[in-house]
Amino acid sequence: MTPQRAMFWKIEDVWLFYVIAFIALGLFTVGVAIHIFVWRKSAPHGKTSFSWPALKHSLMDIFLGLRVFKGDIPAGIAHFLIFWGFVILTIGTTLLVVDDHLYHFLLGRNHLVFEVSMEIGGLFLSAGIIWALVRRYIQRVPRLEHRLEDAIVPLWLLAAAFSGFLLEALRLAAQRPPWGNWSFIGWAIAGWIPQGVAESVYPDLWWGHALLCLGFIAIIPYTKLFHVIGAPAAYYLHHSEEKSAGASLAPMEPGDSLNPADVAVLDACMRCGRCVQACPSNGAGEPFSPRDFVQAARHSLWLEHSPAGDIRFLSKQRPIEDKAAWYCTTCAACLEVCPVYGATFEAIARKRASLVEEGKGVPDLMNQTLERLFNYDNPWVSSKRERGAWAKGLDIPVLKADGKESQLCYFAGCTTSFDARAQEIAKAFCGILKHTGVSFGIMADKEPCCGDIARVTGELGLFQEKMENCLELFDKYSIKDVVTSSPHCFHTFLNEYSQTPFRVRHYSSVLKELMAEGRLKPKNPVNSTVTYHDPCYLGRHNRNFEEPREVIGSIPGIKLVEMSHHGSESLCCGGGGGRMWQGTDLRGEARMSEIRIREARETGADILITTCPLCLVMLEDALKTVGLEGKMKVMDLNELVLQSIEQ
Amino acid sequence: MKEPQIIVCAKQIPDPEAPFSNVTVNVEKKQVLVDAPDVISPYDENALEAAIRIKEELGGKITVLSMGRKVSDTVLRKTIAAGADALILLEDPLFEGLESNSVAYVLSCAIKKIVAYDLVLTGRQAGDWDSGQVGLILAEMLDIPCISMARSIKIHDGAVVVEKTVPVGYEVVEAGLPALVTVSNEVGELRYVARSKMLGLLRRPMPIPKWGLKDLGDNAERLKKVQLMELAPPADMGRACTIIEGSTDEQAARLAAVLKELR
Repeated sequence: MTPQRAMFWKIEDVWLFYVIAFIALGLFTVGVAIHIFVWRKSAPHGKTSFSWPALKHSLMDIFLGLRVFKGDIPAGIAHFLIFWGFVILTIGTTLLVVDDHLYHFLLGRNHLVFEVSMEIGGLFLSAGIIWALVRRYIQRVPRLEHRLEDAIVPLWLLAAAFSGFLLEALRLAAQRPPWGNWSFIGWAIAGWIPQGVAESVYPDLWWGHALLCLGFIAIIPYTKLFHVIGAPAAYYLHHSEEKSAGASLAPMEPGDSLNPADVAVLDACMRCGRCVQACPSNGAGEPFSPRDFVQAARHSLWLEHSPAGDIRFLSKQRPIEDKAAWYCTTCAACLEVCPVYGATFEAIARKRASLVEEGKGVPDLMNQTLERLFNYDNPWVSSKRERGAWAKGLDIPVLKADGKESQLCYFAGCTTSFDARAQEIAKAFCGILKHTGVSFGIMADKEPCCGDIARVTGELGLFQEKMENCLELFDKYSIKDVVTSSPHCFHTFLNEYSQTPFRVRHYSSVLKELMAEGRLKPKNPVNSTVTYHDPCYLGRHNRNFEEPREVIGSIPGIKLVEMSHHGSESLCCGGGGGRMWQGTDLRGEARMSEIRIREARETGADILITTCPLCLVMLEDALKTVGLEGKMKVMDLNELVLQSIEQ
Repeated sequence: MKEPQIIVCAKQIPDPEAPFSNVTVNVEKKQVLVDAPDVISPYDENALEAAIRIKEELGGKITVLSMGRKVSDTVLRKTIAAGADALILLEDPLFEGLESNSVAYVLSCAIKKIVAYDLVLTGRQAGDWDSGQVGLILAEMLDIPCISMARSIKIHDGAVVVEKTVPVGYEVVEAGLPALVTVSNEVGELRYVARSKMLGLLRRPMPIPKWGLKDLGDNAERLKKVQLMELAPPADMGRACTIIEGSTDEQAARLAAVLKELR
């Protein structure tokens, strides 16, 4: 007898099965169609095209599950097991249909391989789900939520897997085929079942299993299971989209349409909460959760565009206060860990832009800051005429509007120009440039604001004005080469301006280049242990983790130790996204800057080095408020380098 | 009830939040020179915000009145962008440097000309001279009740119910309409006006009536100017920062000692 399996053994009214299957697939198709409808409505101007590299990249993301493994290996393994269990069983069941209706090929050895594969698939699926349930309900991993669908979806899937095994066991117990032991799990269970019982119970359980499986297909678009379609689509759209170096809070009008990748990403979110775990604001006990925010954005797209409202019936959208939008520092830690490449910024940017347009939900301090930015071209309570005051007595050339020769423009930026502590960055950097004989100049009191704060707070009209003003001035001064002290200005010029008709670098790149050219040679030993804080807009947004470290490493006598959060996992100082100017209006249990400075202290370093004026000011303040003054120092990279070259 | 007609008086002044180095005092000429853009006096912005909130709840119409020698409609159109319905500028060379009684007189003439109103709101004081008199005198001239220093304003059954700030907490005061209320900053900042909204509004043609003294009864002899006796710049106090070290208790003790010495 050739090993094989008869379809619909002992099942009557097979037509009924097909009717139910048709309904289930119908519900599935309608659900998916609504999703696609909402996507198209939400991103009406989006274009998608075929791209082979994007497809390749997406397939890697899908089948290797690298994004899911990233930063959370236990979760990655659970997902891997469920994913492959699901894939094997889906392929297997499809083959069974082909075998029965089209071409009978699951015979002999094929059948045995098939049976073993299905056992492994079922085993993977069950093990993965049990692990996931343990993580969520017994281990209670903090980032995981406990909503209705969080229980229903895995239990449903587990019931389908278990009923499958049991069904197989009943069939094997009744039929006792000689090759039965290939189905090793079903066979083991079958040993416990009397033949008569097996035959009588089998049909009822068969229908139960069929309903569970078909029902499962039907609920995919209506639950978080939709990610099995949403995530691959989001991967492809994300990879095929032309992106600038950093994730971008693209300038847009409120109500402006999103691009297809952002919509797919928002819709693919299944509330895994990795973003919540990575979020420094949430970590400091502030009432902000990127997950809730993204979900709220998704929900509002659905309310706006779906003919049936939000169809995720099992997970009710919680209301979110408008104020929540102002907590985000735009540090991008969430995007780093999001399995579907996140769209927190798009959600935040849209919300902020609409609050600014409406006017009502803008916090008082932000309101004042934006007014000041408009009236005095900087977010500080400072006069534009004082902008070059830090350079007084330093003999630094001031660029002229009619300057024909293009030379290096050192763009100090607002905070470096006005904050007494941050001014040291400018003084030290200019000291280094003079030491190395680089020809450069500053714009002094003519220097404009790049507009970063307007952009990140959603004041896009004001950002537009600042950008136009800046571009016009740079053109008037024939500035073709810009070096900034702030990673924020650098990022804004490079990635957020509609055009960047000049070269722009952050000072750390210039230091690195000067060293590579041999013009800058640190010689005085700095016998200290230091640690380096990656500013979000230099590191995560612009992927420059190495240059500052190389500069630090080239200083004799220095020992660089890393904090537990460093590189792409760096923790925000709390000053980005306009938070620097928000004061204590927005607060949690701790300050982000204090959390960071304590982490720096734990490394045993004497000096915390950073490369951003906002980080410098925030961390130096935190140093005082946590009482570490005198025990540790916060320095800008320029100050350190200058120490090492000065006579 | 019927929809309330609200009048908000808004003064245009040089930005009181201007950076310190943009302000100079000319002692001889008795002039304060502020190199800063003109804005709406912050307390008047609070008054406008209070008016907009009432309008959001009950409907109605907000008319903004602003007077001066020269009043800029680019500054005052912000009131429209924020939510006011009409803007009337009271502009006349004779309106320069008027003392509070005269200002209130001009405003009262304008308000009588508008005729229908239920509520007049002013800031508790102006952000430049901080006299805090115009609102009260204006109520007297209009012969309507006046409640000062409001931190919350509600209209209810033909009356205005105001939480009035007092040195310890607040009092709830009610007055029949029409009435005048002077508004304090506790009401909240005027909502933010986005640049795009402002630019859109500046481009849109809008009838903004300008009334001079002639339109308001031509009574020049009622107007008196402020007589400034003397003007002194604030003493340059200098700044010195000392960080007091030690445990919290020690810091407190040392701080007390330092303050005692300075007394």
